[in-house]
Amino acid sequence: MLFKLSLTGIKSRLKDYIVLFSGLTISSAIFYMFMSMALNQNFLGKNSMMSASMTGFIFAFGAVLLSIITLVYIVYANSFLLSMRQRDYGMYMMLGAKSGKIGILIFLETMVLGVVATLIGIILGLGLTQVVSNMLISQLGLTITGFVGFYLPAVFVTLIFFVALFFIAALFNRRTLLKTPVLELLHGSQKPVKFKQNAGFVWLQALLGIVSLAIGYAAMINVKILVLASIPIALVTIVLGSYLVFNSLFTAVINVVRKNHKTLYKGLRSFTLNQLRFRITDYTRILSMISILFALALGAITVGLGFEKLNQQFENFTYYDAQIVTKDQKVAKEVAKLDVKTKSTYDYKIDGGTVYFIKDEFEKTPLKAMINKSSNSMGFVTTKVGTYSVADLAKETSGGYYYLNNLIPNKKATEQSPMKNVFLTQAEFDAKPQTANSIDLLTVKDFKNDAKTLQAINNLQEKKDPRLAEYMQSTKVFSYLGVRAMTSGFEFMGFFLGIAFLTMLASTLMFKILSGAQSDVSRYEMLSKIGVRRGILRKSISTEIGVLFALPGILGIVHVLFGLQFFKAFLADPYDGIWLPFTIFIVLYMIYYLITVWLYQGIVLKKIK
Amino acid sequence: MQNLNVVDVQNVQKIYGKKNEKQYQALSNVTFNVKQGEFIAIMGASGSGKSTLLNILSTLDQPTAGSVKINEQDITSLNKNQMADFRGKEIGFIFQDFNLLENLTDRENIALPLSLQGVNSKKIDDAVDKIAKRLGISEILSKYPAEISGGQKQRVAAARALVHEPAILFADEPTGALDSSSAKELLDTMQDLNINDHVSVLMVTHDPFSASYASRILFIKDGQIGEELVRGTKTRAEFHHEIIDNLGTYAQ
Ligand SMILES: Nc1ncnc2c1ncn2[C@@H]1O[C@H](COP(=O)(O)OP(=O)(O)OP(=O)(O)O)[C@@H](O)[C@H]1O
Ligand SMILES: [Mg+2]
Repeated sequence: MLFKLSLTGIKSRLKDYIVLFSGLTISSAIFYMFMSMALNQNFLGKNSMMSASMTGFIFAFGAVLLSIITLVYIVYANSFLLSMRQRDYGMYMMLGAKSGKIGILIFLETMVLGVVATLIGIILGLGLTQVVSNMLISQLGLTITGFVGFYLPAVFVTLIFFVALFFIAALFNRRTLLKTPVLELLHGSQKPVKFKQNAGFVWLQALLGIVSLAIGYAAMINVKILVLASIPIALVTIVLGSYLVFNSLFTAVINVVRKNHKTLYKGLRSFTLNQLRFRITDYTRILSMISILFALALGAITVGLGFEKLNQQFENFTYYDAQIVTKDQKVAKEVAKLDVKTKSTYDYKIDGGTVYFIKDEFEKTPLKAMINKSSNSMGFVTTKVGTYSVADLAKETSGGYYYLNNLIPNKKATEQSPMKNVFLTQAEFDAKPQTANSIDLLTVKDFKNDAKTLQAINNLQEKKDPRLAEYMQSTKVFSYLGVRAMTSGFEFMGFFLGIAFLTMLASTLMFKILSGAQSDVSRYEMLSKIGVRRGILRKSISTEIGVLFALPGILGIVHVLFGLQFFKAFLADPYDGIWLPFTIFIVLYMIYYLITVWLYQGIVLKKIK
Repeated sequence: MQNLNVVDVQNVQKIYGKKNEKQYQALSNVTFNVKQGEFIAIMGASGSGKSTLLNILSTLDQPTAGSVKINEQDITSLNKNQMADFRGKEIGFIFQDFNLLENLTDRENIALPLSLQGVNSKKIDDAVDKIAKRLGISEILSKYPAEISGGQKQRVAAARALVHEPAILFADEPTGALDSSSAKELLDTMQDLNINDHVSVLMVTHDPFSASYASRILFIKDGQIGEELVRGTKTRAEFHHEIIDNLGTYAQ
């Protein structure tokens, strides 16, 4: 009987349940997706030039962050569930239902909801992992290998993590229902709100908040001076600053507006402003948390995409784009596909530990290389094109000597005993009995564009003479692809974590707001009675919720804009192309805002005809 | 002027439940009117249809049949927005549970009906100060509802109901949540407003004492207006006794 009643309760709020359920499903899907990458050695190993332990660490760090936000998320989602149910269950108890039975019901309800959502989430995660990874790989031109949607350990970890969380949540809900007085369950705990705050104290807090934010931002801008110290400084001051700003600044501003009756007495404005004032004070913690997580998420995406630029920087570390030592039809056919900018050909003959070159060739087309122009305090190097004279190339102590050495394929040369570079006249060279070889050094107009062909050329050469395997590793395209694999790993993770964070924190805010909807029903009902049009009530609701979404969003964006200063150390221009992640974020965030408004109006205006 | 009907109800019928569902007739053939400046009480047992009637009069609900005119305007023909505007302009409400917005100060609460009508802030402030003085709550305007007593809350609610000078004040059990001395004070004030400021009042109540402040009492039973008592020249105490006697016979 009680069970049936409880089902009726769910049916009457089906819309809210569907959103709650989808929210939980999405969060477990995201969790699964991330874990399937973080735990998958195959994925980590192949996509990273860095030691596997380093990538493992980065992913573990990501996993911890994701677990924390998931935990917070579940807490808020659960409090929304409880807010929906406490009235019903309070009523049953008042009507004499045994509290033991109610306890079992809410426990079961939470567990069933959670476990079913998790299972569906994992299945969804399997599919999404496949789709999203394929999409990302093609969209961003990433190279990711060894990535499969289904990964058993990830399934287990997700299942255990979520079931454990829901078990705790279910116990918590049971305890709350049984420990809270029935009357309070029925009417909601009307928390006494402290409206009277000392105005001076509020302004002092606001000032302190702004000052701490300023210190935090300054620490980020001056990362060159403070180096690593800027991270803890910024972290502490920005967290503190966000909290203080939410706790006081907005209240202070609203209070100023309230003093001026000319602006206050405009339609429902006094009501909307006071709702906001109450909400913002009540939401201080969650709003500051969201502003910071929002910044972290947006930062993760921006920086992740910023790594793309690392590839471009990397292109400037090596001058020649191709080294052709194999002269055959197949190779020539591939070379013909390249959009060649310059081509220099050098003849050589190998005589034991000595390589003979023709002096004239090096004088006519000097050998070029990228040399360091400058490097900043964080080790960020800029380069320029340099040329080597024949004298340089022949002198054993010069950089050019080794540079040339490495361009010539020869198994015998080692660091310890390099080959000897000898420059001869054409006649002297011709007189040497060894077989003549030649190397073509090419540069192309668009390296990124030709990278695939360049790799094919390497492969063809290696196939013809397997001894060239090691030599081919010194080519530009080989290192380029390696770095690219690493950066795409970062991009992928940044992108993924960013989106995951955003969806979770936006829906955390959504659930927090919706949890309070129930206690607003009577207010809106009353306003409707005294003659407020439904449309005006709707507008007031969208404004109120809009501000609640916008404030942490805007503060978060400001955090990121300053935070990117920190990445000036690694990336030439961290602000380049930030419109993309910002747009993605704002659009996603807007969607959550609209869903929240829709649901909230559904709850609050239900009874108003 | 004296003969103008602020409320004119003709043959109002209210049936709850849709055609194919179980139906319940809450009001049948209700006809009465309230003259300008009258203080009317509606009495009846629980479930007799008092709230239903008040909801219809205040445009919160529509009658199944019949016509309702407030201040000469037929309110059953209005659309939803017009109804909301009508409530905001022509009707003042006092509820049993005050229904103040606890996030707003008393002053902001009282100002709300006028700011909804787009009155300029200077005029709003003047009107709020005037009605607050009239109801003796000038001292507490900057407080929040949570900081004042039940009696004061109901005065603030009355101020909010009257600040825009509505055609009629509707009160649903206004003394229901008050102790007897606050209740008496509120009723005295309402009577004073009625006599000196010519505010028309329609009050729904169970309580014979509250009803004795009215100039006319309509008894409602099973959704129909039965008897009517007129105070005439009787004192309030005499009228009180008459109501109690009447309730005794009426209940049989
Ligand atoms: N929405 C509704 N649907 C169906 N029946 C209703 C509805 N509202 C009220 N009723 C019925 O109409 C009748 C009159 O109800 P109403 O609320 O008007 O009584 P009341 O006189 O105000 O009672 P009380 O003094 O207890 O407030 C009651 O029998 C009630 O059950
Ligand atoms: Mg009633």
